[in-house]
Amino acid sequence: MPEIARFEGRRRLKGSLYLAIGIAAFALLFTSFFPSVEQIDVDEYTESMPALFQELFNISAMGTIEGFLAVEIYQFVWVLLLPLYVAYLGAGVVAGDADADRLDVLLTLPISRSRLLAEKAASLAPVVLVPNLVVPPVVYAGVLALGESIDPIALLAVHALSIPFLIACGAIGVAVSVLVLDGDLARRGAIAAVFALYLLDSLSVVADRDWIGAVSPMRYYDPTEIMVDGECDLVGVGALCLIAAVALAVAVVRFQRVDAP
Amino acid sequence: MAAIRTEGLTKRYGSCRRFPLPWREQPKGEDGPVVGIEDVSLTVEKGEIFGYLGPNGAGKTTTIRTLLGVISPSAGDAEVLGADVTDPAALRGAKARIGFLPSVMGFPEDVTGRRYLDHQARILGDERREELLELFDPPLDREIGEYSTGNRRMLGIVRAFMHDPDLVILDEPTAGLDPLKQSHFNAFVREEAASGTTVFFSSHVLGEVRQVCDRVGILRGGRLATVEPVDELLDRGGKRVRVRTRGDPGAVGVGLEGVVERTVHDREVQFTYGGEYQRLLDHLAGIDAIEDLEIAEPPLEDVFLHFYGEETETEHATTLPDTEADA
Repeated sequence: MPEIARFEGRRRLKGSLYLAIGIAAFALLFTSFFPSVEQIDVDEYTESMPALFQELFNISAMGTIEGFLAVEIYQFVWVLLLPLYVAYLGAGVVAGDADADRLDVLLTLPISRSRLLAEKAASLAPVVLVPNLVVPPVVYAGVLALGESIDPIALLAVHALSIPFLIACGAIGVAVSVLVLDGDLARRGAIAAVFALYLLDSLSVVADRDWIGAVSPMRYYDPTEIMVDGECDLVGVGALCLIAAVALAVAVVRFQRVDAP
Repeated sequence: MAAIRTEGLTKRYGSCRRFPLPWREQPKGEDGPVVGIEDVSLTVEKGEIFGYLGPNGAGKTTTIRTLLGVISPSAGDAEVLGADVTDPAALRGAKARIGFLPSVMGFPEDVTGRRYLDHQARILGDERREELLELFDPPLDREIGEYSTGNRRMLGIVRAFMHDPDLVILDEPTAGLDPLKQSHFNAFVREEAASGTTVFFSSHVLGEVRQVCDRVGILRGGRLATVEPVDELLDRGGKRVRVRTRGDPGAVGVGLEGVVERTVHDREVQFTYGGEYQRLLDHLAGIDAIEDLEIAEPPLEDVFLHFYGEETETEHATTLPDTEADA
């Protein structure tokens, strides 16, 4: 019985729910802007933007409701803000316990260190799952209320495929946490790392050196592709699982032997 | 089988402690940098209350964390309930039978005491919880974040004992408890030991160790200075004597065997006395015009002074005990 994951996960439930409600409200507000965006000539607008922006944000797709949602909500909240937050929380798992004088007690429980770490990491589940459960029905209802329509499968896919993506980002946070074992430093480090990976993905494409960005989770999750082109990148899902597995393996190996601070 | 056995147990904090990040402050103990331990060999028998006495920063917590596998030893061996502390699987089995109360204990602040105990009970067990809550009664339905220091300590005590462990490791357990709860706690620990529980009791308060423990190991600067029955320790530690006279106090303590560290200030003389009581009283009876007299338990530092004899006496005279212990 994964008692620690259950206990710690429950403690995150309320915060995750508030987060999800906040994102849902934000999404509704932005969805309500769509009719006015629709009236502008998107092609003309796109051409007036620098090429770099067109490439980075896939602005040409904004003329449709799918493209608009992908660019204004998902590219921003799901590809940048949420992963930063999940990595931030991931970075707090054991390092935060060490800062708060809780780690010694956890380490003296009769469970192995790898299991302790795995359960701590698993306790991030609500932050990954709750927004993905709460937001899609709200967005769907919002789109319908505008008199528009959206493929519900595409909407579900963009949320479902974000789960391995957010897990990978959380795992990076956990790895930073164990490597640094200092809560403040780990949280700042994880945010910096995930933001750097975000930039690395987009800039390496722009710089025509795609391969550099291949380590970035952002490479494998593209809401615009999913919502506008209806493409599900299952190889990308595999890559995200691999990134998560490598990050967690690094964390477990180090946590096995490290002296608690 | 001994409950705890260590042989040459050593823990040094080198530069490889975590990553040597130059901008990070070195980890601090309560009163200074964390001190390692050097060549600590001791045996704690089953059912015994073993006092582990030393000033803040002497390495008490380092010893405990090494025994519990929180940090790994640099050298030497240690066994806890028969399990090698460097064998995680073996130690895990032993941990189920150990109760641990750290000197500084953090809790999840946003849950109630009851929910925390429920959670810990699912991992450890809690067959004695209700009985313990009659003795130590933190407000279980309040969030731990609202707890006072004393209530946190009580919650920690209940957690440490509720699964009826065979060995209890207590690091400064009474810090933060009010005096009444302290004496309740000390009586409780004695009862537990009487019914077969082994207790490892770390403290920097001599009086407390004297009341509770059977044997005492004294740790200083990371080294185990001595292990002996508590009575012998006190005999060796001597008494702190303070005498104020109406006139010239010059004769007080002079020519009496067993007087060390005699200081005269104004009309007051202070010294540590390691001899027999009767001889002290005879000596004092010969002094004229005693205005005030106090014979007290010596502070821990004075016990150390007595232990280390002349060689540390000058050191004591010039440095504060705590900074000295960290050196």
